[in-house]
This record gives sequence, structure tokens and C-alpha cells, in this order.
Amino acid sequence: MDDLLPHFLVEARELIAQASDDFAGLAKDPTRRTTIDSAFRAIHTLKGSVAIFDMAAAVHALHAAEDVLARAGERPLTAQDLTALVAVVDQTDRWVDAMERDGALASSAGSEAEALVSRLASDTVLLPALDPSAPSPWAEALAAVYGDGAESLVAFRYAPDPECFFRGDDPLAIVAKIPELRALSLLPVKAWPALDAFEPFECAVTIEGLSAASPGDIRATMRFVIDQVEIVALPTREESHALPQARRAGSLRVESARIDALADGVGELIVANNALAHLADEIGRSDPKVAARIRDAHGTLSRAVSDMQHAVMEVRMVTIGPTLRRLPRLVREISDSLGKPVTLGITGETTEVDKGIADDLFEPILHIVRNALDHGIEPIAVRRRSGKPETGIVTVSIRRDGDAAVVAIADDGAGIDPVRIRDVAVARGVLAREVADALDDAQAMRLIFTPGFSTAAAVTGVSGRGVGMDAVQAAAERLGGRVEIASTAGQGTTIRLRLPLTAILTRLLIVHVGAERYGVPLDRILETANIDSDRIMRVGLGRACVLRERTVAVLSLAEMLGGEDRLSPFTKLLVTETAAEPIGVIVHGFGDRIDALVRPKAGLMANIPGVSGTTTLGDGCVLLVLDLPALVA
Amino acid sequence: MSVQLADGMIRLDGDCPVEDAETLLALLQEHQSASVSLRHCTRLHLATAQVLLAAGRPIAEPPAEPFLRDHLLPLLDRLRN
Repeated sequence: MDDLLPHFLVEARELIAQASDDFAGLAKDPTRRTTIDSAFRAIHTLKGSVAIFDMAAAVHALHAAEDVLARAGERPLTAQDLTALVAVVDQTDRWVDAMERDGALASSAGSEAEALVSRLASDTVLLPALDPSAPSPWAEALAAVYGDGAESLVAFRYAPDPECFFRGDDPLAIVAKIPELRALSLLPVKAWPALDAFEPFECAVTIEGLSAASPGDIRATMRFVIDQVEIVALPTREESHALPQARRAGSLRVESARIDALADGVGELIVANNALAHLADEIGRSDPKVAARIRDAHGTLSRAVSDMQHAVMEVRMVTIGPTLRRLPRLVREISDSLGKPVTLGITGETTEVDKGIADDLFEPILHIVRNALDHGIEPIAVRRRSGKPETGIVTVSIRRDGDAAVVAIADDGAGIDPVRIRDVAVARGVLAREVADALDDAQAMRLIFTPGFSTAAAVTGVSGRGVGMDAVQAAAERLGGRVEIASTAGQGTTIRLRLPLTAILTRLLIVHVGAERYGVPLDRILETANIDSDRIMRVGLGRACVLRERTVAVLSLAEMLGGEDRLSPFTKLLVTETAAEPIGVIVHGFGDRIDALVRPKAGLMANIPGVSGTTTLGDGCVLLVLDLPALVA
Repeated sequence: MSVQLADGMIRLDGDCPVEDAETLLALLQEHQSASVSLRHCTRLHLATAQVLLAAGRPIAEPPAEPFLRDHLLPLLDRLRN
């Protein structure tokens, strides 16, 4: 059972998201048949999945939700129905979280389920159970005889009341209307009697059959006799094991660790292939002909490796949607607890990013959204006074921008006041008054990313304690990305996470310091500059220069690494960004830009600060990759 | 009359309602060797259909109507085998 849990968590959250989407659609158009059916399928499958675990409360609540949807054909969904359905799905989401965290539901689950069911079941007629986790023997027999397992089929069994002809029922006419009928069987309730003993007006058959239509459609067709009908969704051949698997034709679920191993292998291959080019150069000096042939082989191999690299990267690309699935529910909870009504909009959830990035993106996004609700969106009274709609708007939009994915979290709240940020920073001892006043507004806003900085007058339960926006900055940096912030007082704040689409190869700039070479990730570099050395001035204990009308603190990489700089009329600067300000780092030369597989530092190097990992160059040398933010901190 | 005997064959024509069950049963009992024609049958009430199932009489002329042809006829034919 335990090994099923990870699959279940993924699957259940997908279904919860699907149902939530459908309910959102139904809120706009409560009669849309395809949406009702889609929600029904999601809830139904979810019920089948939770039934595998010790989640009786969830089965109970979902069953009631399913009934409401099954009846939606005859009795349109009301706003109350939808609110209750959303509550069931939200609660199921919490139960799934509990399963992940504790492996079991809390003891309160039963009463929570009862409360949900009573909200749903005000006038619910309990319909026959529809439980795919325990297919009935008759359904299995039907599937064995008629189904080929390729199509997803629903089995039905209709046992008409013997007196039904007198009431005017024609069961055959009813089943003739079932859409996508694939098989039908009329079975005598008892063995057929001799004709002399036959009672023509007593219904003596049970009708069984298979249909490729949805359970909802079948229920709708048989709604007048639903009390005499059992409906069971049959697993298709691919789904025959306990959990429903990916429905896309020919899709395959693979442990991400295997893909990672493949990606590592491709990375090593790229490095090995780079060595060939180096070898060709070396041989070229003594034997140009052999060198040319090696270069040919290198070219062919490069193309193959590059294709393979792209294929692996493609495999690792996932849409960002699943990462955000829990967001709407959490926003509803936060919005309730703060008493600030908020509409959450999500766009671009089909944007694809590397799985490693998608996996780690939820926490920072949630953190920013929490902050937006807590500190950005104003209380209702304030919003009313400033002529804003009472309901705040928070949008999360994801888009691709070149080789980056940009996640923008925007709110229409009060905006960030740079004056207040400076005051708070000074009051908290983060900065000296003069330094704070010297910051321009954009720099001042970035102070919210400084560890320990919190602008909330009171620590609230929502934004938590001690975890500030610095956690977001740290998460973005871990993912190889950065955070941008834009805010207009009174109109709102937009925080952008700019992240690489792929995490396999890192683009490095090779820099020279003394006789050594180091790699610096390109996405850490704001710009490289070559300036007159006399533009660097001593300021207090440090040095600084003015670049593009901004004051940039200057540090020496050589000194940081225990060496010293040569005197030269020109200085090469690598400009990087820290939480509050840009910093120029003096290097002695710029080398190639390379794509490299950066391995995390391990063993002896694990404790060297300022080094994020290593990579192997084409000539076999190991290059230390510098972690600039850590180095200059 | 949607159920009648013609040329030694019991013919069910058009829409055969619940009442036809009794007529059909009587004809089947009286004419033990008569086969059945469903060629012109467009709808068969379950009461009538279950008489055919109980009798297991050969269907000499299969129905043209798709539901009867695809779903009922195989059941009637299977009884013969």
C-alpha cells in the first residue's frame, strides 16, 4: 500500500484540480453538460482512488458530491450546491495533505465528512453505489466477454421490477437509448419456463450491458429507473491496477530519478565530447589529417549528443499547472482567515518548465501570494475608502520569456511604500540611516528580501513568523533564478520570479584570476564592464565606482580567494546583484562562455564557502564554479 | 395488428407494444414449428422480446432496425446454439 501512496498523491491532486476547474466553470455556466460530466468523472475517479486507502470519510463525502453531480441533469446546480461541492474538494485536498504528512486522516475526519454531506444532501436521494475499486462480479464477467480492455467502458445492470410492465415501463426502450451501447445481454431471472407456464406480463429478465458513454450520461438515460440500476466504470487494460493511470494515449509515467540519471549521463557525454575537440586541436599540431577526421567524428557526435540532450530536456519538461493546483484552495483559506475577499486568477499554467524547477516553485509562489494577501491587499474598509472594489485581485501568471520562465504574482493592493521600507529597515537595524537614504526606491524595495526583514506591524498567523521574503529570494536563487519587484503606491505590487527553463546545463562564463580559471553562472551576472582603474574610488573601508549612474560597491575576486590584483590601467568588472544593490567584482580576464554540467560540491569541497559546484572542462581540468552571492555576502 | 401469422411465419411488424406479448405467446404455442420474422419490426417491447427469448424459435428474417439487429438478434440467435 505504501508504494501506492506517492502515485495516489499525484493522481488525487490532479483530480482535485480538475474538479476545482470544472466547478469554477460551472460557477459561470451551471448547466454546461460537458463540464458537469468532467466534474463527475473527476470526483468519481477520486472516490475510487481514496477508497484504496483508509479514507472512509473522503469516500463518504465524495460519494455525496458525486450524487449531486449525477442529478445535475434533472435538477440544475445551485450556487449552494457549487459552494458545497467546492468545500468537499477543498476538504479532500486537506485530507490528501494529511495522508502525505501523517499517513492517516485525523480523527475529526468523520465529522468533517458528515458536515459536508449534510450541506450537499439537503434533498439528495442516495443513488446506488458506484465504486470502481470493488467491481462487481457481474461487471467483471461482462467485461471479460465483451470488453477488449482498449476502450474505457461502463457496465450497467438493470433489474426491472417484475411488475414494471403494468406501470408502463419498457426497459428495452430505456436501454435502447443508452448512448454508445457496446454490448447487451437479457438474462432470465429464473430459467425460462415452458411457454405454457409463461406469464407474458411479468418482467422476467435482468438487462446487463456495456457502454462507452460516461457514467453520468448512462445515469441520465436511466434516471427514471435509477433505483433498479447498478453502474460500474470498468478499468481499461492500462488502468487495471489499482490507480487510474495517465490517460493520454501512449504516455508513460517514469520515476523522475531515472530521468535524472539519463540527464546526468547526457551531461557526462557532453563533457566527454568536448574533450574530443580539445584532442583534435592537440593532434592538429603534429597530424592535421587525423585531426580533421577527429573533428568530423566530433561534429557527428555533437549533433547526436545535442539531439539527445534536447530529448532528455523535453522529457523533463512539465507544465507548471500541477504545481499550482493547491493554490486556489489555500488562497480561499487565507482569504477567509484574514477576512479579505480575494479573487485568484491563474494564467499560463500550461507553460512548461524543467521538473526540478516546477517541483520547487510552489513554496516561493505561495509565500509571495500569502504576503500579497496579508500585506498587499487592504482591509475591506480601506479599499472602500480608496474607491477600489472590495474584492482584491491576485493573479499568478506564468509565461516563457526566451530561455526563462517568468512567474509574475500581482496584487491590486496598497503597493510597497519605499519610504516606509527605509524607515523600517533603519528601525530594525538592517541599515544605517545614511545608507538607507542613499538607496533609490527600487533598491529600497529590494530590502524586503533582506533576511529578517518584515514590514508587518504585527506578526500574523498567515505570513508566519521569522520567514520573510528572503526565503523567496533564496528559493529563486537555488533554482538558478532571481526575483524582481515592481510596485506602485496605492495600485499594487508585482513580484516576478525569473527562472531558467531547464536545469540540466548551466551557462557559465569562465573568468581568469591570476593563473586560475573559475566558472560563474551567466544568470548571476548583470553585466561585464571594462573600466578605467582610476574610476574606482576608496569609500571608507571599501571601494566603489559609478556605473550607469549607479554606485556599485567593488570587491576583488583575487582578494576574496586569497590572492591579489595586478596593477593595471584598466579593470575588468563582473557586476552581480545582491539583495539590495549591485556589486562589481574585479577579475583579471574573461574567457569563454560554456554550457556545463555543474555537479554539486561534495566531499572535501562541501565546506568551502562561495563555491557552488564543479564542472569538467574539455581539456579534463576541473573548474570551480563560484557562488557569487555567497562570496560577496 | 403488429403480430400475425402469414405463410407459416410469425411476423412482428412495426412497433410491437406490450400487448403483443400475449398474442405472440399464443401464436407460438399454437404453431410449434413456425419461425419468426422481425424484418419489419421497428420496436419491440421487453414483454414481447422476452417471449421470443423464452420460446427460442428461429428468426427466419432478421430485423433491419439497428438496435434490434445489433443487440437483440445476437441474443435470440445464441439461444439456438
